[in-house]
Amino acid sequence: MKNRIKEFRAKYDLTQEDLAKKVGVRRETIVYLEQNKYNPSLNLAHEVAKALKTTIDELFDFRD
Amino acid sequence: MKKNKIRLILITTGTILLLVASALYGYLALIKKEATPGGLIPILIPLIVIIFMMFFISKRYKDVKEGMPMEDERSKKVIMQASAASFQFSLYWLLAISWFEPFFARTLFGVEKLDASQTVGGAISGMAIFFFIFWFYYDKKGKLI
Repeated sequence: MKNRIKEFRAKYDLTQEDLAKKVGVRRETIVYLEQNKYNPSLNLAHEVAKALKTTIDELFDFRD
Repeated sequence: MKKNKIRLILITTGTILLLVASALYGYLALIKKEATPGGLIPILIPLIVIIFMMFFISKRYKDVKEGMPMEDERSKKVIMQASAASFQFSLYWLLAISWFEPFFARTLFGVEKLDASQTVGGAISGMAIFFFIFWFYYDKKGKLI
């Protein structure tokens, strides 16, 4: 599953650490999310989308 | 935040106590040459735990200082997968210990048979090593179920 977290993060000038603090996860989780190496739970996906002022559909690409 | 700090303090205290106990045991076994059950194998388990805990505590200390959580959904998944994998490997390790017990007894201790504490110590050491190896593997690899 691909995502646009890095793109949205850059749009709001947030570091990975800033985003991690906003969402309430560790920085490594954001790193692995951006590298498409970790699939978040629905709750986490929702929190990340909320922190980046977008929707889950906009942020994540569910196509294989 | 406060909960994380308390957890970190408790973990650090436990690790220091383990270090002190290991140092005392090592002193008795090596310096005073007192007969200690299981020879030096019982030091191996705490040493593995202490080395792992030093990495863990230093990493978590930085996080707690910066206001980051000590664990999240991904870190919990890493521990769960590492535990499952190490459990499976430990079954084979225990079988190997029972099958090759005379070999381990002769090469590691110079005796014909292992006593109960040596066997249990070896089994737990292996399980601890497997867990830490898998913890590092799943943490670095990234792809989790």
